[in-house]
Parts: sequence; C-alpha cells; structure tokens
Amino acid sequence: MTSTRTPESAPAREESKPPPQLPLWKWAWRQLTSMRTALILLFLLALASIPGSLLPQQGIDPGSVQQYFQSHKLIAPWLNHIGLFNVFASPWFAAIYLLLFISLIGCVLPRTFKLAGESRTPPPKAPRFLKRLPHSAAYVSPLPPREAADAAATVLGGRRFRIRRPSAEDTGDWVSGEKGYLREAGNLLFHLALLGILVSIGLGGMFGYKADKLLVQGQSFADTQSALDEFHPGRLVSGSALAPFDLTLKNFSAKYLMSGQDFGQPSSFKAGVSYTAQPGSPSKTDTIQVNHPLNVDSVKVYLIGHGYAPEFTVRDSRGHVVYDQATPFIPASTSTMLSDGVVKASNASPVQLGFMGVFVPTAVSHGNQLQSAFPAPDNPAVSLIGYRGNLGLNTGKSQSVYQLDTTAMTKVAGSPHLMSPGQTWKLPKGQGSITFTGYKQWASLQMTYDPGQIPALVCAILALAGLLLSFMIRRRRVFVRAVAADSGTGSVVTVGGLTRSDASGGFEEEFAELTAELSGSAGTENPSDSEGATGAEGAEGAEGATNQSETKA
Amino acid sequence: MFKAQRRTVVTVAAVAVVIVAAALVVTLTSGNGQASDRTYIGGGTSAWLYKPGHRPAAPSFSGTTLTGSKLKSSSYAGKALVLNFWGSWCGPCRGEAPTLAVLSQKYGKDKVSFLGDDVGDTPTNAQTFAKSMGITYPSLNDPGYQTAQDFGKAVLINDTPTTVVIDSTDHIAGVIYGAATYGELDTMLKKVSS
Repeated sequence: MTSTRTPESAPAREESKPPPQLPLWKWAWRQLTSMRTALILLFLLALASIPGSLLPQQGIDPGSVQQYFQSHKLIAPWLNHIGLFNVFASPWFAAIYLLLFISLIGCVLPRTFKLAGESRTPPPKAPRFLKRLPHSAAYVSPLPPREAADAAATVLGGRRFRIRRPSAEDTGDWVSGEKGYLREAGNLLFHLALLGILVSIGLGGMFGYKADKLLVQGQSFADTQSALDEFHPGRLVSGSALAPFDLTLKNFSAKYLMSGQDFGQPSSFKAGVSYTAQPGSPSKTDTIQVNHPLNVDSVKVYLIGHGYAPEFTVRDSRGHVVYDQATPFIPASTSTMLSDGVVKASNASPVQLGFMGVFVPTAVSHGNQLQSAFPAPDNPAVSLIGYRGNLGLNTGKSQSVYQLDTTAMTKVAGSPHLMSPGQTWKLPKGQGSITFTGYKQWASLQMTYDPGQIPALVCAILALAGLLLSFMIRRRRVFVRAVAADSGTGSVVTVGGLTRSDASGGFEEEFAELTAELSGSAGTENPSDSEGATGAEGAEGAEGATNQSETKA
Repeated sequence: MFKAQRRTVVTVAAVAVVIVAAALVVTLTSGNGQASDRTYIGGGTSAWLYKPGHRPAAPSFSGTTLTGSKLKSSSYAGKALVLNFWGSWCGPCRGEAPTLAVLSQKYGKDKVSFLGDDVGDTPTNAQTFAKSMGITYPSLNDPGYQTAQDFGKAVLINDTPTTVVIDSTDHIAGVIYGAATYGELDTMLKKVSS
C-alpha cells in the first residue's frame, strides 16, 4: 500500500541528463535536432533573406545589379564574393536551409516513431489510490465491483477512450482509459507540413521559371527560350523543356478615366489572346487582365505592361524598302504614354539609316515642345531625329533594339521632324524617306511557372490544421476502480483523471461530465462528488487526497 | 516498446538520404556543361559535335519561306542541312552572315543544304538583310518561333542566332550557339559532308 507510482511520475525526458560518456557525433546530433537549434536556424533563415530584399538580385533584376556595381565600385565585388547578389542560391543560404531541414527531420522522425509506439501500447494500469490524482471523484454503485467496472468500461469505450482492463495476473476491478493521441499527431503534422513547405519552395526554385515577352498586336510566339525577352530559369530547368504552348496577341485595349482627380489613369486593360496548349491541340481564346492571368500548361501568363508600336516604312536613297515594321516604343510616362523608341534601317544602302524619336498618343504643342495630353490614341504623332552612318551592328555585337548608338552617325537634318499617321518625311538630299503608316498597341506578358506553389499552399493548410489539433486536443487519462462496499451489496467506485499536457483548461468540466455519466450508467442512488485540483501533481499524494470529500457508504 | 537504437538508425539513414540527394543535385547542376557525348569545337563550349551514336533525331518541320513558298523538312532527306536561326534585328546575326554566305557557296555544290529560320522579324526586313549580305539560300518566315520551339525539344535553342547542323540521316550532328565562326562551321561541315 506504499506504492505512489502514478502515470504522471513517468521518467523525465532523457535529453536533460545525457550519460557522461556520450560520443561526440551523438552529442552533435542531439544538439542539431533540438528545438532550440531549429528555432535558431529558422531565425537565421529569416535573417539571411534580408540582404536578398535590400540588394538587387541577379536572378530577379540583373540590370540593377550591374548598376549597383557601377555606383559602388569598391564594395560591390566584395558583396558579390559572399554571394549577396544571389542570396537564395548562395552556399551559406543553402547550408542554413539544409541544416534546418535535417534538424526538422531529426526532430520529427523519432517523435513519429514514439507516437507510433505509444499508440500501440495500452494505457498503464489504474493506480491504487485514485484520490491522489489531480481530478478524482467517487460514487456508489448498486452493482458488484466487476459489473460496475464493466459498466464504466462501456461508458469510456463509448467516449472513444483506449481501454485497458485487468489481465489474468492483475488483481482488483479497474479500467484504464486514455485519449487525445491526436494532439501529438497534430503537432507532428505541423512539423511535417513545415518540412513540406521547405521542400515545395525548393521545388519551385529548382523547377520553376519566370519569363517576359513583348508582343505587338497580331504577333505570336511559341514558349521556347530563344523567343523570350527575359528568361530566369530555376537551377534544374532546361530551356528546351518549357511548356510547349504558343500564344497570339489578337488585340489589346486600354480604358482611361476621362474625368475627375484621376483623369488619365487607366481603368482597365484587356489583352485578347488565342493560344494552343500543345502543338496540334485546338486553339482557344481568352482575355488576360491585370489580375486575371491566363493559365496554360500550369504556366500563368500575366499582363504586366503595354505601349504603342508605331509602324514605319523606310526607303533608302535607291528607293528600296529596307525597313517595314511595327516598332515597339517604350513608355517614358505611364500617365501620358509619351514613349521613346528607335528605328534601325541596317540594310539601307549606301549608308545605314537610324531614327530616334518619341510617340505621343494625344499630341499637343506647348510652344515648341511636343507633349502628350492623354494616354489614349486621340491624336497620335511621332517626332523623329534622323541619322545616317554606321549603326555599329556590322561587327556582330549584340545591341538593344531600343537604343541607337549614334557615335558613328550624323544627323540628316537639324531639327526633329513631326509626323501624323500616313505622312512621309523625305530626307534631305535624296537620302531616302520614312513613312509613319500607323500604329499598333503592344502588351508585355510575364510567364511564371512555380511547381511548388500548390504543394506549399496545401502544406500551409496542413500546418495550420496540425497546429489547431495540437492546441485544441489534450492527452488525458481516466481510471476507474471499483471495490465491494462495506455494506455488502453494491460497490464503491472511484474515478481519477489527469491530463498529460498543461494546455488550456476545460478538463474539469469534461471530468465532471464523465463522472456523472459513469455514475448514471451504474444506476447509482447518490450523486457524485467531484472536485478537480487542477495543476496539482499526482505525486503530491496524501495532501491531494485530503482535498477530496469523503465517500458516502 | 520501440527500440531507441532502431529509431536512431532509421533517422540517421533518412538524413543521409537527404544529404546524398542534395549533393547529387548540386553536382548535377553545378557542372560546367562538359558532357561526354560531344566534342567541343573552337576551344569554348558554345559549339560542339555530337559523338557518333549520340546524335539526337532532328524534328521534322514545315513552313512558308520569306518569299511565300511552302517548304518541308522531307525535301532535305538524304542530305546534310545547316539550319540557322536568325533575325535581321540581331547584331550577331549580321556578324555571322558573311560566314554563312561563303560557306553555303563552298558546300552548296556538295551534299550540304543551307536553310535559315527567320525569327521575330518581318519578311521585308529579312529579305533586304539577306540580299545585302549576299545570302541566296531560303529562309522560313517564323515570326512566332514555331520551328525554334520544335527544334528546342531535340536540342536547346537558347538564343538567336543558333546554328544546327543536321546530318544526311536526319540526326543533329552539331550546334553552334551565338555567331558562328568560319572555323567552327567549316570543321562541322567537313565532318558531315565526308
């Protein structure tokens, strides 16, 4: 009768007192997989991504990186040396990421095994003195002890407790019940889902890509690397394995506010496209809007920009057409759509011709200054400066199609030439001509493919579900012991309960309810007394027992 | 009860698998592109010939030329073909054009045909380009990069210009990325025409 062993006095976690002769690798492993290390690594991961948002990144904006190099000649090479322009692909970022990964696995896997083991182990035997447990109650049952215990087992089983009954070697009539394994399962789910999010982001980084393409109305393109203006592939993306769709920009329309404070601001953009998902599959049409991307072959196609492409025909001094193209001009101002662009007639003979100019959709003249009053094409005009000489293309160097290198060229006329659609500018001295035949609109599209997006979302939802489970469910044990009443008939039944986690309260009510149901099922004549001593350790023993009211016999 | 030792073993094994997988990924992706199925030409890695037995099959293609006539890949069957992806807007294409013009004359009498694939361009611009560069072989009018996409499945076409050399058995013998030099293309053509 001196045994005070209760389930609550289970051995403390082994980690807190490692055996003195612990091998180094085992010690290191324990350190790595500890909760503290995981939290530190998570913090480091967040810290390490800060330079990625403060400094321009090679993978996102190579142009800005170049600019940074030019304006910070001293420190840029050093920053580059430690990978700060490509943070998310740098070795140290990968190191943190991998360590966090290993730490999480090392933490979650053993716990999964433990849970699997526990869920196969029946609850412990009922302790002898149930009154010493944090929650206890007693009632009198008219049934003999064995049947009273049976009745209690039925109730507990009905409440989906895992039940243990005395085996052949055990003495006494008792029931042990345990419930709430989902708490640990939820906790594990949370950790596993966290791992899943890490994996998904990694997947996206390795197999995803991002690309830009500018299309003039009527133009089409096939999704292949050489067709793209910008291409940012993940580490494992091959340019020859992109989604094989092709897409045509049928039309583009922009609407602008005609009045009010936001006069001239866009109210809607619509890009009408036709596309085939696979070569040979039927052609479909769609309208891409700013927040309505087209989804084709799991690639999302966003509308990210628009502008005007004036159409020019250039004749050289022999009268041959050497250039005939709708030429995209880049907006310098999105509120007026005043746009800059160049024309390179590289095949003009005997000398190459080049033009640099602006396109204005709604031309107004302020003195001698050409300006645009409105972004819609109400009064389109171009103003061009003509050049003759060497465009610098013959050496085979790559050149931007939006810039004119005039170092080896001379102006054909002193002042810019203003033209309306349909007008032709005859260059002086029979050097040729340029006709502004009209204009088209262009749209700039962004293709993004992120195979990790959906898995990351699913994992995030699972993590939340796991967290809720582990917050809302408590692991609890209930024991019932029945002994023959002193009067000779019926029995005295003691109920004890304890929770194995100190999460939010509420067990008192559940315990009281359970006790009521137990005594009810036993057909008791006396209402039960129950009192919870929440927070008291089961091992407090006699002190706890004195709190309990006497059982009426 | 579960044995603590077995748990540790399984956990360590799982971590080992992750590390090996990560190492594999790093090894596979950080390679400098040197592969054993090809011979590099011209010292760099931008031009290569596939070793015999490693040549990918060339995709079939069809289209309309800049002058409006229909053209099919089957009409080149049994002959070696140089397929050059180009555009009149592209600086390096202008740089390599004289080389292509000369080599198409040199090998044109033998068993090698030349064909251009004019991408992201207009026929007018392209035809004036070809005329001024002395290029006499035809080009497909491919403003939307369709043929480039078709070929992209067999061999990476990452930028313009790219030149693909196809042998007489309709297999891709070699590729040149960027402006083709006389030496690179001549070496390849000697190989496929012999």
